Amino acid sequence: MNTTLHMAAGGGAGDHEPGLAVGDTGAVEHPPVRRGELAANLAATRREFALAARQGHGGRATQRAYAARMDGIVRRLVRAASTLTDARLVVCALGGYGRQTLCLHSDVDLMILFEERIGPNEERFVNAVLQPLWDLQLVVGHQIRELADFEDLDSGNPEFLLALLDARPLAGDESLLEPVAARLAGLDEGDRARAVDSLIDLIEQRYAQFNGTIYQLEPDIKNAPGGLRDLAALRYLHTLGGERFNEDRASARDAIAEAEGFLLTVRAVLHAESGRDANVLTHDLQERVSTTLDCPGAGVQQQVEALMGAYFRSARATAGALARARRRARPPAAIAAPGRTSRHFEIAPEGIRFADATTAAERPSLWVEIFRLAVVAGCPVSEQALDCIEQNLHRFGPDDLLATEADRQQLRALLRPRPGLYARLSEMHDCGLLMRLFPELEGIHCRVIRDFHHKYTVDEHTLLTIRGIEALWNPATPARRRFGAILEELRSPEYLTLALLLHDVGKAGEAGGADHAQESARLARAAVERLDLAADARHAVEFLVRNHLAMSRVAFRRDLDDPHVVARFAHLVGTEELLKMLCLMTLADVEAVSSSTLTPWKEELLWRLYVDTYNHLTLGYGDELVPQDPAGLAVVIAGRPDDIAEAELTSFLAGLPRRYLSLFGLASIYRHVRLARGLRRDEVHSVLENHDDVWELTIVTLDKPFLFSNVAGVLSYFGMDIHRGQAMTTPGGLVLDVFEFSDAQGFLRQNPGATGEITRMLDRVVAGWVDVPALLRGREQSVLYRRRQHEAPRLTFDNEHSQKYTVVELVADDAPGLLHRVSRVVSEQGCDLDLALIATEGRKAIDVLHLTRSGRKLVDAEQKALKHGLERVLEGADETR
Amino acid sequence: MKLVKAIVRPNKVDEVRDALETLNVGGMTVTEVRGHGRQKGHTAIYRGREYDVTLLPKICIDVVIANDVVEDAIQAIIRAGRTGEIGDGRVFVLPVEQSYNIRTGEQDAS
Repeated sequence: MNTTLHMAAGGGAGDHEPGLAVGDTGAVEHPPVRRGELAANLAATRREFALAARQGHGGRATQRAYAARMDGIVRRLVRAASTLTDARLVVCALGGYGRQTLCLHSDVDLMILFEERIGPNEERFVNAVLQPLWDLQLVVGHQIRELADFEDLDSGNPEFLLALLDARPLAGDESLLEPVAARLAGLDEGDRARAVDSLIDLIEQRYAQFNGTIYQLEPDIKNAPGGLRDLAALRYLHTLGGERFNEDRASARDAIAEAEGFLLTVRAVLHAESGRDANVLTHDLQERVSTTLDCPGAGVQQQVEALMGAYFRSARATAGALARARRRARPPAAIAAPGRTSRHFEIAPEGIRFADATTAAERPSLWVEIFRLAVVAGCPVSEQALDCIEQNLHRFGPDDLLATEADRQQLRALLRPRPGLYARLSEMHDCGLLMRLFPELEGIHCRVIRDFHHKYTVDEHTLLTIRGIEALWNPATPARRRFGAILEELRSPEYLTLALLLHDVGKAGEAGGADHAQESARLARAAVERLDLAADARHAVEFLVRNHLAMSRVAFRRDLDDPHVVARFAHLVGTEELLKMLCLMTLADVEAVSSSTLTPWKEELLWRLYVDTYNHLTLGYGDELVPQDPAGLAVVIAGRPDDIAEAELTSFLAGLPRRYLSLFGLASIYRHVRLARGLRRDEVHSVLENHDDVWELTIVTLDKPFLFSNVAGVLSYFGMDIHRGQAMTTPGGLVLDVFEFSDAQGFLRQNPGATGEITRMLDRVVAGWVDVPALLRGREQSVLYRRRQHEAPRLTFDNEHSQKYTVVELVADDAPGLLHRVSRVVSEQGCDLDLALIATEGRKAIDVLHLTRSGRKLVDAEQKALKHGLERVLEGADETR
Repeated sequence: MKLVKAIVRPNKVDEVRDALETLNVGGMTVTEVRGHGRQKGHTAIYRGREYDVTLLPKICIDVVIANDVVEDAIQAIIRAGRTGEIGDGRVFVLPVEQSYNIRTGEQDAS
């Protein structure tokens, strides 16, 4: 049964008496308004409305009819009060009521406009109109104005201006509105621009309350992005924007009408069911609304999913249209200037677009590239490009999109966290490209999982984690800055983004419970295989996805004062790089649950666990040797190739720190075993290899004084810039050093036989035939070696963390040859450098040296002497040694 | 009735909650807090730079308990929250004059 209200008597448009001028009717007798009758009529009307709403018919027609009934009530009150004043006046409906979309418990917004100055009689008139409305328990928003108020329209007061755009005369002298309408129409470009700016500011403030996303699990259908206020804002922008919005207005008309019809119907159910002006589609109300609207689905859960699917589609269309209008009204300041950027792309005011959409439709390799370029240019991707991709997406699968290494490289480059990445990934998601690249995301598209904490759909939560990482480039607080510093240190932050994209894909379907991390890891494996990542990158992504809940569990639920807790967690992550990525992943994951989940309390605990684990990994790792990790050792033994005997393998590993197994994959471990074969005193076995732009030198030799310093000196002599390195010495005197460096001066690139020259020099140095300090003496006096210190160096001696070693941590501005000079001082002081971790992060060198002297830790006097020597080197006073 | 306010280590909150549930203590309020008692925090070093951790993260559990089980509840909290180290926390007991259920408006028996 259709119970949509169709009102005629007493309230419809026919009841409007445009000729009635209140000021002219002072002498006319009007029947008194019987308030009891009004209340009874209103109550009956509301019951009808509620019944219609509960049957799914509370949409536009019903609200228009309800507004008409309200018009009738207001007109009766105005007529009855008209004896109180002779003034010319007009009573208007504003806001949603002005637009005749008056919901059951909406505010009744009125403006009473007087021609002249308001006196006591007019005040009595106002009271006579408003008091009965209040007595009817209506929430009345009222503006009492004089015509003089409109002589100078304040374009900086957008709420009032916008309210005027919706003004609909109900009673009185309509002609009073004409000068107001004329002033509105006569707003010059400057006034309109200011009004548009103010409106956009209001939109941004409103969006901020909802974290800027439409994908709320319990959305406020009026105020949230994509809700009814967006539709009103869109209309205002189209009106204020003038002719340049003509095209937008026409193209958006149907979509706006459809979205509004849907939202009005849903809102009517919310009002009817809650008995108040409720606009939040809570989980409970989702069930009732989905049943009321007869959403498709076998059970309540499926019906709710269908309802929310429809809501998100509607909200996406609305927010998308508003975003376009905002961009047109206030184009974003692109980093790149408009114009052609290459053969295939051009930057236009609305964003980056394909130079030739027909060609682009056939070349999916351009699709990821356009998003990457948009991030670089700091502008959105244009509608033209998004439409082109969306319309042609069905013709290509993931393998087509990632067919070549160049395609995969584009994607990896896109995923590097930078400002704008979240917005571009959201565009990719909305146009379907992200799900085509990662079909694993399909199962979490608009996925709703109800719990007490999550505020957003699973896919939106996923994208918000990436926004959280992106925000670390411009940290808002000092506490957040320390996490930002970790992001700057990551070698390959794109793998963190990739892991975040995939971390919750296991929440699709029935497996979306507590074990979703395992399921996510299983699904992520297929994705990383498609991307053809290197083994270490693959391991990192899978590790992060599988363990994305581990750090929060330990940080928030375990006793961080217990060293065993930290040690176990350190063993889980294994390396500083994975620790850093997992820490940032945890931070972003917790923060993206809702705007209030990541409290300073949690942030502090997370940081504390990070620091304690980092210190354990870098300062305390020397005490545990490989045999103390039987599980890890068993894996290495089980996977050994035929040419390596178990005895040879275990003998090689016996004296190495347990950390070694975390640092190196099986292939590297077996290669190290082979390198160690047949080693004699004063010999070095080495391999020098190139990976992308990074060179890696692995040497195996037997320990001797100044060895580490001399090897570092050789690399420095050839102009190599050491980025990171590991040095390990077993109790039996076997040395394994691995250095990663860049060919800063192009020696390897420009000289075909250069690798041989370096390894020959190493042979001679280890054999003791070359005096490295003499070799470097000329270079160390050059300008390059005398860089000015930006930050005072920091030296820390630690005799607590390790049972066997004195650990020296050094943080200083990096400089060519620094590692050689530092390690030389160590040897000159009679210390053995047993273990070393070398890292360069930005312009900072961070070296952790594990030292002994005659097999024991350094005593205070020895530490003091070493410190003095190191400080001289770091201060540049002792560079020519 | 008494308001029992327990400040415990974050990792002990589940054990304390479980211990209270065995005494049929109905509701509780759990709040993330930071502070210090005799455990005055410590100095941590990261990359050679010291920073103080003077206000340590703790959890505050508030429960309102009938007079006849207050002593049992206090002992349960102490047993569950104790590690024996400095920093295990505190339990405070305060009198409650009246208590109402907001939904029903009913006053609880004192």
